[in-house]
Amino acid sequence: MSHKASNRVARAIITFLFVYLATPIAVTMLYSVSTSWVKTILPKGLTLKWYGQLVTNSDFMSALVRSFALGFLTTVIAMACFLPVVFYANVYNPKVKSHLRFITVLPFTIPGIILVTGLIQLYADLPIPKLLILVLAISLLSLPLTYQALDNAFIGRDFRAMFEQALVLGDSPFKAFIKVIIPNIRAGVLVAMLLTFTSAFGEYVLTNILLGGNFETLKIYMYRLMQSNGQASSVLTTIYFIFLAFISLILILIMQHYSAPHKSTKEGAKK
Amino acid sequence: MKTRLKVFFPLGLLVILVLLLPITVMIIASFQSIDGGFSLDNYHQVLSNHYYMEAIRNSLGISLITSGISLIIVIIGAWALTKLAPKTKNILLSLFNMSSSFAGVPLAFSLIILFGNAGIWQALMTTLHLPRTFEIYSLSGTTLAYTFFEVPLGIMFLFPVFEELNPEWKEISSVLGAKPLFFFKKVIFPVILPNIVEVFTLLFANAMGTYETTFALTGNSIVTIPTLIGTLIDGGLTANIPMACTFATLFALVMTTIVWLGNRVTRSKREVKA
Repeated sequence: MSHKASNRVARAIITFLFVYLATPIAVTMLYSVSTSWVKTILPKGLTLKWYGQLVTNSDFMSALVRSFALGFLTTVIAMACFLPVVFYANVYNPKVKSHLRFITVLPFTIPGIILVTGLIQLYADLPIPKLLILVLAISLLSLPLTYQALDNAFIGRDFRAMFEQALVLGDSPFKAFIKVIIPNIRAGVLVAMLLTFTSAFGEYVLTNILLGGNFETLKIYMYRLMQSNGQASSVLTTIYFIFLAFISLILILIMQHYSAPHKSTKEGAKK
Repeated sequence: MKTRLKVFFPLGLLVILVLLLPITVMIIASFQSIDGGFSLDNYHQVLSNHYYMEAIRNSLGISLITSGISLIIVIIGAWALTKLAPKTKNILLSLFNMSSSFAGVPLAFSLIILFGNAGIWQALMTTLHLPRTFEIYSLSGTTLAYTFFEVPLGIMFLFPVFEELNPEWKEISSVLGAKPLFFFKKVIFPVILPNIVEVFTLLFANAMGTYETTFALTGNSIVTIPTLIGTLIDGGLTANIPMACTFATLFALVMTTIVWLGNRVTRSKREVKA
């Protein structure tokens, strides 16, 4: 197979994959703006009235606020747990990293449904607010994402020298970390925060089983609507998708903005 | 030592509170009988109850088929992705990342619009006067649904491996007179095989642990290990938390072993290379 031909095949495969993965999303979007689409190949007409109905619904607003709060708290906790550890592991003690590897496979060995069983068994009858347990548990499950994104931020620069110079100049370790390290890894931290936020924002299993539907987040609201009102549910799904797309766009922009200088230093080192 | 303690304190506390303690308690509970004494009753029930066995069979069947099919698509897709321009690659990777987070309730809902009883596929079949051939609320429907998040996930794992393959190998081997098939069989395949095994174990484990998509798509009509655990926890009259703990313990044990083995395959290979 010639070079050109194999490139054409590759493009065809990727196009096919793209269409395959995007079809359900595209159909849901079309469903959300159609007047009625039951047992027909194409919708009867187009309208935006379902959007108006959902956005003015108070259930929607409170679900949105709950999901945002969950995402925000989880991001703060995940950063507080991991920033110091990833910094220490990369700068002072790379051996720690091999011990942290277990975290990256955690979602596969102990997925949400397994973790929640243990949490129910342990905390169901204890007088600790379930909401606190929920936020902590979601933070734990988002750690692999946080860890990998943060770990990437430390590639390719001598942070130890930077940090120790700041210490010599009289800063406390905490102050030196905030003043010298954070500004240099802010792109990586931002990526980690966005990924953590998104995963907590869309959490379903832990929230639903641990709090038994008493805490209606966006996903739980989506499931309830799905049972009762298809139009409203498609609107919510579309909004959720646009939110995900927006976050992805920011991620792409950050990576394109910051990857260029990093790459050149890496290649420079190779030469 | 003091700073080291400070550095690890928040993460350590989190891991103890919401991972180690709950999992330990869960394992202990799985060995308790109803009156609180030690027993293997729960484990005995897993093997003797038909409904429980069906959950295990369904989970294994769906997961094996969906991760097998997905793996083939992933290998082809990841290869195709390496052929594209670097900028397109990055954008596509972000899109794959996004579509794997679309899994769960939104995915189930989209598939119901597409393939559900009042959906577009059925309308198409009726118009063309063809028989109803595909049921989304079934085992095969669930298997199809899983591929929508397994494929992007697998590509994100396998693409970096393909990207690191050295293009000079191909030139060298063709200079030495190797045919493309020989090159693939003797050079590329042995290098990527361990990674493919690892990706397969992760896809399998991921499918085994899927609760949200299955539950949202089929309610409780298709029973898998995760949806069974969900019912055992909050199923009202049929709730049986010690039984849920038993399934969860078995699951964690088996999956840890499989993922650990999958990881070992790649790591021993890396050590040989070094």
